[in-house]
Amino acid sequence: MTMATVILGALAFGTGSVVMAQDASAIAGGAAPVLKIDTGDTAWVLMSSALVLAMTMPGLALFYGGLVRSKNILGTIMHSLIILCLVSLIWIFFGYSLAFGPDKGGVIGGLDWIGLSGVGSDPHPVYGPTIPHQVFMLFQLMFAAITPALITGAFAERMRFSALLLFAALWSVVIYTPVAHWIWGGGWLGKMGALDFAGGAVVHISSGVSALVCAIVLGKRKGYGTDYMAPHNLPFTLLGTGLLWFGWFGFNAGSALGANGVAGSAFLATHAAGATGALVWMCTEWMHRGKPTVLGVASGAVAGLATVTPGAGYVGPMSAIAIGAFAGVLCYFAVVWKGRMGYDDSLDVVGIHGVGGVFGILATGLFASKAVNAAGADGLFYGNAAQFGIQAVMVVAVAAFSVVGTWLILKVVDASVGLRISPEDESTGLDLSQHDERAYS
Amino acid sequence: MKQLSRLMTTMLPVLACLALMAGTTEGLAQEAGAPAASAPVAVTSEAPAAAAAVPAPPKIDSGDTTWVLVSTALVLAMTAPGLALFYGGMVRSKNALGTIMQSFIILCLISIQWVLWGYSLAFGPDKGHVIGGLEWLGLNGVGLEPNADYAATIPHQAFMIFQMMFAVITPALITGAFAERMKFGSFLVFTLLWSTLIYDPLAHWVWAVGGWVRNMGALDFAGGTVVHISSGASALACAIVLRKRLGYGKEHMMPHNLPMTVLGASLLWFGWFGFNAGSAVASGALATSAFVATNTATAAAALAWMAVEWMYRGKPTVLGAASGAVAGLVAITPASGFVGPMSSILIGLGAGIFCYLAVLWKAKCGYDDALDVVGIHGVGGIWGALATGLFASKAINAAGADGLFYGNPAQFGIQAVTVLVSVGFAFVGTLVILKLIGTMMPLCVKEEEERMGLDLSQHDERAYS
Repeated sequence: MTMATVILGALAFGTGSVVMAQDASAIAGGAAPVLKIDTGDTAWVLMSSALVLAMTMPGLALFYGGLVRSKNILGTIMHSLIILCLVSLIWIFFGYSLAFGPDKGGVIGGLDWIGLSGVGSDPHPVYGPTIPHQVFMLFQLMFAAITPALITGAFAERMRFSALLLFAALWSVVIYTPVAHWIWGGGWLGKMGALDFAGGAVVHISSGVSALVCAIVLGKRKGYGTDYMAPHNLPFTLLGTGLLWFGWFGFNAGSALGANGVAGSAFLATHAAGATGALVWMCTEWMHRGKPTVLGVASGAVAGLATVTPGAGYVGPMSAIAIGAFAGVLCYFAVVWKGRMGYDDSLDVVGIHGVGGVFGILATGLFASKAVNAAGADGLFYGNAAQFGIQAVMVVAVAAFSVVGTWLILKVVDASVGLRISPEDESTGLDLSQHDERAYS
Repeated sequence: MKQLSRLMTTMLPVLACLALMAGTTEGLAQEAGAPAASAPVAVTSEAPAAAAAVPAPPKIDSGDTTWVLVSTALVLAMTAPGLALFYGGMVRSKNALGTIMQSFIILCLISIQWVLWGYSLAFGPDKGHVIGGLEWLGLNGVGLEPNADYAATIPHQAFMIFQMMFAVITPALITGAFAERMKFGSFLVFTLLWSTLIYDPLAHWVWAVGGWVRNMGALDFAGGTVVHISSGASALACAIVLRKRLGYGKEHMMPHNLPMTVLGASLLWFGWFGFNAGSAVASGALATSAFVATNTATAAAALAWMAVEWMYRGKPTVLGAASGAVAGLVAITPASGFVGPMSSILIGLGAGIFCYLAVLWKAKCGYDDALDVVGIHGVGGIWGALATGLFASKAINAAGADGLFYGNPAQFGIQAVTVLVSVGFAFVGTLVILKLIGTMMPLCVKEEEERMGLDLSQHDERAYS
């Protein structure tokens, strides 16, 4: 209730404080624009933004929703849905400005673009010279929305709803916006030459590593390791997987910021790695466990897609297949080993996004080739060992920052509203205890 | 025999009507329309008279065409599977298929109606500012040359099919009002009549060149009046004329599958980008601005509904967040191409709060608008149309107008007139159509059929086994 008042208050205040600044700024610029909008490029990035929205809602929501027990499905879906809404507004108020605004010392964007002030229809010379600046902002908004939603798999079935809201808002501002700035917004990693085409570090390492911290800090679910916690609706999970795959074409090929050769190449690399990841996971599991599972194929596809993300625009199709194959094996064993480590990363965010993201960033340092994308760099296998070193620095920096930042945020949230629901509420399930409704009647 | 006669009284008029139209218009359309398609250069002098009004021959832009074609597919995804699952999850499990079927078959039926006569009535050459002429029956003269009146850089047929998806989803929205009880045959007749007698004229008034509401200067970017007010007001008429569901107010009628409803709501959100940003009928700055406004208002409305419900009921529900999102999408629809992101937050906030209260008050009014079409599309549509008169700004879209908050109170007045006209026309028209059908066939299923559920009684199949 208090939370609800806070939300309404924040919305009204935020809007009121910037309403004047903004509406003037959306004017199609007074001075004649130097850069010309291309209708084809704009159409593709608009479509890609819609596709990435579909990854969060309904894609990820159903992927996770099918994996939990039936008493928690609505609560799980709600995490993705409300993060999408919350981050959409944060991004417009100040998130975009912090991530992509004029650089301040290589670590953060300035507040010049608060409330999208100055972010209008004229293209930005760096962020897509052929599309309106707002399209780039919007496309990036969808990335900012899905990243905290990915983390929710780590604390599924046990987090208090108000804690989720607070955590997502803080994480988005404190972790996501700086990391996005370092790599994509003109910050220090980008200047160093780090390659992350569509978010291997910004999206997958940051969410995967933060998921590990969440799983450790929140603790295991009641009955973890003893109770039966099988997924309640695998067809939902498969539908979610299909929508993630579908949407990932926007995520990766859309990151070319135009309908061009790099977009085509990234689209192909994405598809090849997704397919390979699924097949290799299936084979590994078949050999290791004796049966190929449908959940395994779905997880393998997502692992392949996550892993190829940073390299999608820099590698050719054969490299993408190699990346997908490693993703299938590495992520499979990461998920198997989780059982021995004792933390309850409920829906395997660490094993898939964390391990896949780290390997993907490093693999980009191996397989990247200027023959595929002249704006990129050559990797180790193309004679440029330094690139691999830069990629390793990016992995360490993003992982370390995410660990420390997420830990601090969780402590703050725990002290203010409390992270976990009570054991009785956990037995009842999130749906009834947090939202007073049932999924199925 | 009884089966056969029932079939004849319901399906035959529908099919006969379609077949007759197809027969009479096919010849013309085939001869004039198809060659225009395959060899546009050869026939430019005679077929598209409207397009020839522009001095330089209009040139098709591939980027604009791509965006409108993709948007068309996005709007299709709103009806089926989006709306079908949104509604399908909210009914009881015995009615899931019947509910999905209504959206699905409307998609089929209106696609044909639109090609045969709907597009011509709505967008054909103006007759007295109230209706389109029959010149474009069977898409006669609607070829691949752009029509500069509607969209100068895309083929005329791309505009036509984009508009078709709007004509399809509008009657499908109404089905939520009479969910779980309408007879399938009567529903088909209703849909065909409603589309022809309500949707087509209203679309003409508001959007077509020469339409009187458009001439008045009313702003409706993507269908707040044409789609949402019309369907919401008609839904109210349906809920009043058709009897309540058996046991309404006494039995529990919980949604049988809320994840399905959320899936539908998400697909609606996804498809709505085509609906609103596609309404720029070009790719570029205006489409972008509409896209940003759409996403922003939706997020704000879902959060507002959630917060109000949290305060009022004590828990934030998932159905509430999903309903709030849809309310925000509805409300931003007429404004999306005329307002900036901050205005769209305020429009979304208003939508979340007003629509929540409208849904809450429904119970006190006593009518059985089963899936809250009135509360969400009616109230959200009215708020959106009025809000356009408040927040519209020429700084966002020079082709639009300034609203009250930008110094032009007259625009608010025009919007208010538009609301009254569309509510009145849709409500009264729907009452007349329902009474007319009621004299020929029963509107609702029999009581025992309703208890059995639409799936078994109307379609002889089960959703889940």
